[in-house]
Amino acid sequence: MSILANKETRAVIIGGIAGLNAAKRMAQFDFLINRPLTVQAFVYPPEEGQHKEIYRGGELNNVTVYSTLAQALAENPQINTVLIYIGAARAYQSAKEALESKEIKLVSMITEGVPEKDAKRLRKLALEKNKIFNGPSSIGIMSAGECRLGVIGGEYKNLKLCNLYRPGSFGVITKSGGLSNEAMWLCAQNGNGITSAVAIGGDSYPGTDFVTYLEMFENDPETKAVVIVGEVGGTLEEEAAEWFGKEIRRIKLIAAIGGTCQEVLPQGMKFGHAGAKEGKKGLGSARSKMNALREAGALVPDTFGGLSKAIKQVYQELLATGVIQPEPELDDKLLPALPPSVQEVMKQGDVIVEPLIRTTISDDRGEEPRYVGYAASELCEKGYGIEDVVGLLWNKKLPTKEESEIIKRIIMISADHGPAVSGAFGSIIAACAGIDLPQAVSAGMTMIGPRFGGAVTNAGKYFKYGVKEYPNDIPGFLNWMKQNVGPVPGIGHRVKSLKNPDKRVKYLVEYVKNQTTLHTPCLDYALEVEKITTSKKDNLILNVDGTIGCILVDLDFPEYSLNGFFVLARTIGMIGHWIDQNNQNSRLIRLYDYLINYAVKEERPVPEKK
Amino acid sequence: MAKILEGPAMKLFNKWGIPVPNYVVIMDPNRLEQLGEANKWLRESKLVVKAHEAIGGRFKLGLVKLGLNLDEALESAKEMIGREIGTAVIRQLIVAEMLDHDEEYYLSIAGNRDGAELLLSTKGGVDIEDNWDTVKRLFIPLDETPSIEEITEFALGAGFVGEIAERVAKIASRLILCFENEDSQSIEINPLVIRKSDMRFAALDAVMNVDWDARFRHPDWDFKPVSEIGRPYTEAEQQIMDIDARIKGSVKLVEVPGGDIALLTAGGGASVFYSDAVVARGGSIANYAEYSGDPPDWAVEALTETICRLPKIRHIIVGGAIANFTDVKATFSGIINGFRESKSKGYLENVKIWVRRGGPNENQGLAAIKKLQEEGFDIHVYDRSMPMTDIVDLALNS
Repeated sequence: MSILANKETRAVIIGGIAGLNAAKRMAQFDFLINRPLTVQAFVYPPEEGQHKEIYRGGELNNVTVYSTLAQALAENPQINTVLIYIGAARAYQSAKEALESKEIKLVSMITEGVPEKDAKRLRKLALEKNKIFNGPSSIGIMSAGECRLGVIGGEYKNLKLCNLYRPGSFGVITKSGGLSNEAMWLCAQNGNGITSAVAIGGDSYPGTDFVTYLEMFENDPETKAVVIVGEVGGTLEEEAAEWFGKEIRRIKLIAAIGGTCQEVLPQGMKFGHAGAKEGKKGLGSARSKMNALREAGALVPDTFGGLSKAIKQVYQELLATGVIQPEPELDDKLLPALPPSVQEVMKQGDVIVEPLIRTTISDDRGEEPRYVGYAASELCEKGYGIEDVVGLLWNKKLPTKEESEIIKRIIMISADHGPAVSGAFGSIIAACAGIDLPQAVSAGMTMIGPRFGGAVTNAGKYFKYGVKEYPNDIPGFLNWMKQNVGPVPGIGHRVKSLKNPDKRVKYLVEYVKNQTTLHTPCLDYALEVEKITTSKKDNLILNVDGTIGCILVDLDFPEYSLNGFFVLARTIGMIGHWIDQNNQNSRLIRLYDYLINYAVKEERPVPEKK
Repeated sequence: MAKILEGPAMKLFNKWGIPVPNYVVIMDPNRLEQLGEANKWLRESKLVVKAHEAIGGRFKLGLVKLGLNLDEALESAKEMIGREIGTAVIRQLIVAEMLDHDEEYYLSIAGNRDGAELLLSTKGGVDIEDNWDTVKRLFIPLDETPSIEEITEFALGAGFVGEIAERVAKIASRLILCFENEDSQSIEINPLVIRKSDMRFAALDAVMNVDWDARFRHPDWDFKPVSEIGRPYTEAEQQIMDIDARIKGSVKLVEVPGGDIALLTAGGGASVFYSDAVVARGGSIANYAEYSGDPPDWAVEALTETICRLPKIRHIIVGGAIANFTDVKATFSGIINGFRESKSKGYLENVKIWVRRGGPNENQGLAAIKKLQEEGFDIHVYDRSMPMTDIVDLALNS
């Protein structure tokens, strides 16, 4: 048995992230004792309609977020309890609405910093409605083996250590949240654990008091003794003493009271909870509370340290008088272990997870990205350039100085080719249509293919094939190409010809051959091929794609990486065009009719649909 | 709970129509001279000069001077401003008209669980404690406002007569309004004085507490609460308060000069029991400190460093209950860093550290702090199986 919270308790949490965290902790307890999920709904207007993922052990639940309490209750009539986690400025309204809802019997508020007047009004409202308003500043309510409301009890391990999976014989009422947990632990260590534990909160005017719960415990046959932890300030402990002393009570009472230190501290020096303030003339002092409780027959140790002994003493008495029977301790192994997350198990090496992806080039799990092992900042420091990063990320090799210079030149001469070509034109149309940079550049990028810029890979690939399979037999190579591929990629140009050579090709070939020591079998082979193709037709020259492809093969880049150089280089140009159009505030464009041959049928009537 | 100084209290009294004497708040004596030129009352009335600081027992300390003319007031102001009282410096003065009066009354209101209580006596003034049995009480239920007739009846019952009873009732009704509308916790006017020649009333001295948690609905509160510990906050306390205002969770510090046992304790409830344990064993605390609500590690680190700098400490008690949700590993990493930093600056010489804690990630947290032993710290670490406050016994017996 228990008070306040039991197996029938179903709760809605009003509030955001703190409430969600509490719900997760509560679900751990639900798992431990194998009860249905306690939290059935959330109310938090900013996240209306969302679903929060709550694990009860390994079982994943989706709990709905509503914008109003009325909605949550309408759709979840089983809810009888409200937990308030929302900020102090909105806590009053939320709690008021909750107390005014017919279905709700208990409202517990963890929100701290709630104005006193609000708390007083809520207490009054709860009394009028014959309901319980617990808090503000309450860590929650725990009924061992039955229900957990709030994060009271702490982490999963502690729930087991405090025997919270099954009821004991001690009730706990504290002002402090931390001490509720400590008291539960003491009851488990020195006795047989708790029935229920309630934190009423340390504010000046909590919604409930010790007497509220002492009466409940008195009426709960399973509770044989109650531990209260009070402190200086207010009169709740004196009232508890008065209640306890008024008539013979079934329950035994143990109390620890904090704040005796204030007797010797400089006058006026006060601290602790908001409510821990001594009144005029010693009213509400720790000493007066202790005396009152002792006179009423409670066991009151001088310090908190004496609480263990007091609980043990009461437990022994209860055993000796046969009020309770000793309960064998449950083997910890019989209790379910919380399913660990994959990360936790992996850390312990108890599970093998097949990776979803594998990378061999880059790792940013440390303080900064490392490219094939080299820290980015160190590459910068040591004078490496963007070409070297390309070499590392595309080919996992640091290029030599000479190689870097070649890569740099390839990118430079390919960066742009004016606004008329497919790629730049695509980006410009997009820019004029008001499309943002990434999408506009992608529009240009989609043009890259077999007819525009996409020949580098295939050029490199087939010339490499020729070098290997037809080393001294250009006609044989051309014949093979004709039969198996078609026109040779990298050969031929729409405008340029032998008489009107492409300046870029000329420059690149001369640079590589005359100013570097690069061994260029593929480029040499392509130039031999060009000699034969141009003898057939003037414009079947080695074009820039072919040249670049061959040089990159000679630089030992993987063949499927070769188009990347064109993509990389041309991205610079496309971004440039996008910026340029935006700078000019260009308007939306469309083709003029005279640029279109409308080869369509004449206007005619639409036939009736058959 | 937030005590506010007389100046802001007077301003709120003015707002709600409670009569106050003429007054000015100054930070510079020269300002008083300028104000004297502009204000007739400063030149023609007898004046009272008071230190406008949260210092208890101002009269005994010579921080209240009565019956002065403007020149004398100026003289007192020059004397008082900049005076050091313990750790505090007098920065502000309140200069008020000292009203010649015939009688002194007592009027106060204080909140309680079910509403508030209005207290009234015809025998106000410094002897109110001795005349406490003359004080009459009127209970005001929550959200109810007594009518002026009821209050007048009450004033008559308290021994006021005729027009005075009516006027006192009117002032009391305004006090109730002020109390209700300003989220007050208590307002004590002592004395409320009357000059019968012109039936002028004035609240000569007032102590007001407002509910600082309600500040979100009082955009016109342009003041800050002052220390309630009988002296202004020290620089270290102020720094910790500034951090506290910025973080999730909280960190708190009160210095207690002269003690040699420093507290670095967790939780509003447990921290008080640790103070009790020290006192009960005949020790003396050097401070009160508390962190709670899972504060960030850097805030705990700052609190730790501040505590390590307390003079003449011999022990530091790193105590706490078994936390519900404050992460022991994370908060302890702040404490560990704070200890290391302090040691490197030459603090913690011959200081013994005693640790007891439980809660989320307790094993990792306790193991980490125990490792400080290897770095030469005199640190003793215990887990939840050590009764909470028993580390205080161990410290004092060592």
